Amino acid sequence: MFRKVLIANRGEIALRILRACRELGVESVVAYSEADRESLPVQLADEAICIGPSDAKRSYLSVPAVISAALVTGCDAIHPGYGFLSEDEGFAEVVAAHDLTFIGPPAAVLERFASKAGTRQLLAAQGLPTIPGSEGMLRDEMHALSEAERIGYPVLIKPSAGGGGKGMRMVRTPRELESVLRVCRSEAKAAFGDDSLYLEKWLDENRHVEIQVAVDRYGHGVHLGERDCSVQRRHQKILEEAPTPALSAEARADLAQLAIRAVVAAGYENVGTLEFLVDSAGDAYFIEINCRIQVEHPVTEMLTGLDLVTTQMRIAAGEPLGFSQADVQFRGHAIEFRINAEDPDHDFRPGAGIVERYHAPGGPGVRMDSHLFPGYEVPPFYDSLLGKLIVWGPDRETAIARGKVALEELVIDGLVTNASIHQALLENETFLEGKMTTNLLDRVGSAAFLAAAARV
Amino acid sequence: MPQPDPSDSRRANRGPAERAADHAAIDRLSAELLPALIAKLGATGLGELEVREGTWRVRLRRPNDGSARPQRERRSGDRSTDKAPDRGGERSSERAPRGTHHPLETTTARTESRAVATSPAVGTFQPRAEVAAGTKVRAGDRLGSVDMLGLPQEVVAPVDGSVGAGLVEAGEAVEYGQELLVIEYDPTATASTNGTGS
Repeated sequence: MFRKVLIANRGEIALRILRACRELGVESVVAYSEADRESLPVQLADEAICIGPSDAKRSYLSVPAVISAALVTGCDAIHPGYGFLSEDEGFAEVVAAHDLTFIGPPAAVLERFASKAGTRQLLAAQGLPTIPGSEGMLRDEMHALSEAERIGYPVLIKPSAGGGGKGMRMVRTPRELESVLRVCRSEAKAAFGDDSLYLEKWLDENRHVEIQVAVDRYGHGVHLGERDCSVQRRHQKILEEAPTPALSAEARADLAQLAIRAVVAAGYENVGTLEFLVDSAGDAYFIEINCRIQVEHPVTEMLTGLDLVTTQMRIAAGEPLGFSQADVQFRGHAIEFRINAEDPDHDFRPGAGIVERYHAPGGPGVRMDSHLFPGYEVPPFYDSLLGKLIVWGPDRETAIARGKVALEELVIDGLVTNASIHQALLENETFLEGKMTTNLLDRVGSAAFLAAAARV
Repeated sequence: MPQPDPSDSRRANRGPAERAADHAAIDRLSAELLPALIAKLGATGLGELEVREGTWRVRLRRPNDGSARPQRERRSGDRSTDKAPDRGGERSSERAPRGTHHPLETTTARTESRAVATSPAVGTFQPRAEVAAGTKVRAGDRLGSVDMLGLPQEVVAPVDGSVGAGLVEAGEAVEYGQELLVIEYDPTATASTNGTGS
């Protein structure tokens, strides 16, 4: 195991990694930007080091600053969290060149899975059903139009790099495709520094189901079941749960088996997530792999009792997994609510400001992963995630009931949050029946959704 | 610092000649007007002094501690530090010392007769051999560098003055924004640059 880990991230995930380090008896250093000087992870850290100004490009996204911080503080590993540099194979390479360990897949593995189109081909060759898509990257408008024609409308324009819904547009006609192609390119360029785009078949009534895997350096891999992330707003997940109500127990197990076999055969290493779209017939199509710890990892932790962050660290340190598929047991039902500083009444405009009062809910099966405290000033420079409320129950109904109680109990004063959208979801018939698709919120619009719930 | 009067709508579409006039005005303000105003504010008991000339106005506001210096019209608690210059500068909010101290427990009082050159990066500090206690420096002079993974980042003097105490040793690891070298103000020479680094 490592001696000392640099935590190159912020917010709730920095806190999560700090806790994992402590549990393993590993020293840690929290790297922070000027805007996060008074943040909770910095306050709770054994050691903290300022790596740059608020602008993420010069702090959390600066490869030299992060590595320099690890070197001057005597760290032997860097945990990148999610976002920022977490899936940057160039960063992982520079980390290794400085005799440090990147906590995640090795650079060569990240490179193999870096291109989404390439990964689809790689895993299709291992027997995974993949979503129909363009052959390679879109060269120009003509190419895009002919590929869209071949795949069949509607199609989704997606950037090859990155995630989080940026640069992504669904189009139904050639005319729409022509008009948004350039916008997608510039959004992708701005967000990821790479404007390569590709097309994917769009399934109108689709569910988003992902399989969590963990594979050690010696080719031993297990799947940790699936998570249903169908509740989204403009391609951004806001609520995740497991097991998925979309598939039968047998179909879930089959998909997970298929996924773990394919990634082990393709040479994947460390924790990762394979995302699938499930159509109305229940057929699953692989779309992409996430080579990092994910925001929604606690859902799986609640079900399996495993710690995904310490597992990730152990694998990166070269330890064998130490358990087999038969040891992984799934218990009950878990739901995660992403609590964001976003105003549901104003098109989810992100907010910033001072947390005047904060109360995290508690009780059986309730977990709050958050970096908030009363008096904390949420800086405007980063993403709007304030925390994750995760509830567990022996079954979905109990989990939903606990979710309602917990959301009611949660207090975050001074900021507008999206908690009301979660409360509305827990009253929504489609959600309660487990029939939600990724367009649940966008189809009617969030305002109409909130209003409908208020009438209940 | 001089700011265009927002009430002046003509600024929206300025030609090259007007911009040249602006630049000339700024030069003259900083070279002549500001030192005179600072002296005047220092000599009086006034809390604030504002001068208008054409479309420009300059306002000096006395800090609570009594020393006169021009301030930008921003809240002192404004933490939108992205607007700070890239290089080290005088910092209005003192940072807490690193190490085992609780970051919220300790703050250092601002010392008004001096400014501090801070680190532009995380890395190891190397002062310039020519820079020693007592060396006269001008704002912007290079005092040393911080090596960030082989990329030297310049440490510059935030104000005119003379080099005072060194706060870290040569070769020591420093973080972004860490205080490195004290610069003692030279009151006769500081007027034009004083306060611009915050």
